[in-house]
Amino acid sequence: MLKILRLEYLFTRKQILIVLPMFSAYFAYMASQIDSPRVFIIATSLMVGLSMPLTILAREDKFKTASLVCSLPVRRSTVVLGKFAATWITIGIGLGYALLFTAVLPFAKVAVSEILSAKTLLISLFLVSLVFAVILPFTLRFGLTGIIILLVACQLLGIVVLLLTHFGGGARNPMRGLLRAIVGGLKTLLYHEPTAGFLLALLAAVVALIALSFLVGLALYGRRDL
Amino acid sequence: MDNAVSIKGLRKGYKGFTLDNVTFDVPRGYIMGLIGPNGAGKTTIVKLIMNLIRRDAGEVRVFGLDNLRHEAEIKSRIGFVYDVPRFPEDLRLKTIASALAVFYDKWDEARFQGLLEEFRLPPRQVFKKLSHGMKMKFSLALALAHDADLILMDEPTAGLDPVFRFELLNKLRALIQDERKTVLFSSHITTDLEKVADFVTFIHQGRIVFSAAKDEVLEHWGVVRAKSEGLRPEDVPGARGHRRTEHSLDVLTSDLAAARSRLGEQAVCDQASLEDIMFFISKGNARA
Repeated sequence: MLKILRLEYLFTRKQILIVLPMFSAYFAYMASQIDSPRVFIIATSLMVGLSMPLTILAREDKFKTASLVCSLPVRRSTVVLGKFAATWITIGIGLGYALLFTAVLPFAKVAVSEILSAKTLLISLFLVSLVFAVILPFTLRFGLTGIIILLVACQLLGIVVLLLTHFGGGARNPMRGLLRAIVGGLKTLLYHEPTAGFLLALLAAVVALIALSFLVGLALYGRRDL
Repeated sequence: MDNAVSIKGLRKGYKGFTLDNVTFDVPRGYIMGLIGPNGAGKTTIVKLIMNLIRRDAGEVRVFGLDNLRHEAEIKSRIGFVYDVPRFPEDLRLKTIASALAVFYDKWDEARFQGLLEEFRLPPRQVFKKLSHGMKMKFSLALALAHDADLILMDEPTAGLDPVFRFELLNKLRALIQDERKTVLFSSHITTDLEKVADFVTFIHQGRIVFSAAKDEVLEHWGVVRAKSEGLRPEDVPGARGHRRTEHSLDVLTSDLAAARSRLGEQAVCDQASLEDIMFFISKGNARA
């Protein structure tokens, strides 16, 4: 798996160097605007985590390197594991970079000490895992076009949900009930006391989500014709 | 005979095309050419050997091992050359090689550098700045640098100038002087195969027409030429296809000796070239 990680790094490092100044500008802007440590960490994790599969997949699609990687003496499961690891390592490094940035920026509204709490980190990790549990297997199977279709479909779904919420049945609208339930669940997650049990449950949920996503990704990538 | 590759009952279906019941062996220590017109299924077979696409049925064994269960072990012994090289175009050759070398236990850096020098490939050159021929040379250098026992190439000579094609074919011939090495390459350029292949497998519309020693094919297959009104295709023993013009009838036969013996001076019987065979099977009225 380390060989795959090294290969992904060597194949994409040029791209990473190109997007680094953009990230820096984005982090600086977020640090100057957001005063909630959780919102800050989620926004930066999503940005970094989304960019990695996109960067790798855009290059894979452009140069058709997926078939090159799969012609090497590795199993496809190792390739999938490498892509998952690359994404999470990038999220980790990206967050570290964002925190460092926040610490040195004089106009940052969020203090690093606020972010570095177990609850904040785990909640962020949980939400990011939730998003990537869907995105990663999908992108592995359908490539860059797939992720674009997924993101557009998500936006269209959001528009449909908003329309249904506003124009369908007043207070008894089931869509409003669903949205209220989601918001309620998120509030419970955000404002629950950071007991050891709660934190462990969050950690277990994160591990389960990543494992499930990996297994789905593996099954889908194994069926992909290159 | 010891086989480097053994394929049995291989099947892969696409919309509008099916590779069906493909069975043939590639003997170890020889060069086999996989020949057929464009769209015959050559690339599909190569991809199935490399497990780049999923098979619907059948079995592929490389060095006696199942190519799915022993995927990594098998691929470490294969030097694979694509029809179109699939490398990140904006990277330098040395970066690409560095990324790939670690996957092979038997990677020989000195040999790789020697091949770059032989092919006049500057390691610091960016891949996209190479010509098509140079790109193929780089692919070949990578394939040969880890002492692979099987060199598997998909249309390696397509689009190359005659000089490099000649160089490449010589390289392949030199390679199998080591009797452990085997070469399987697909091509629709029949003259290349006639120059170097020991065995030929002909595929047409997803089915194997024949798989045999090249000399045997060239000895037994022939083209019978006669005046149009004097002969019917079914009169020719071993008829496999024919082409009728206004004044003549040309028939491809897989039994040249029987055709000569039966037709005598009624027709002209010549040995068929691989190009004749490909033409009659794919363009004439074939009886595969």
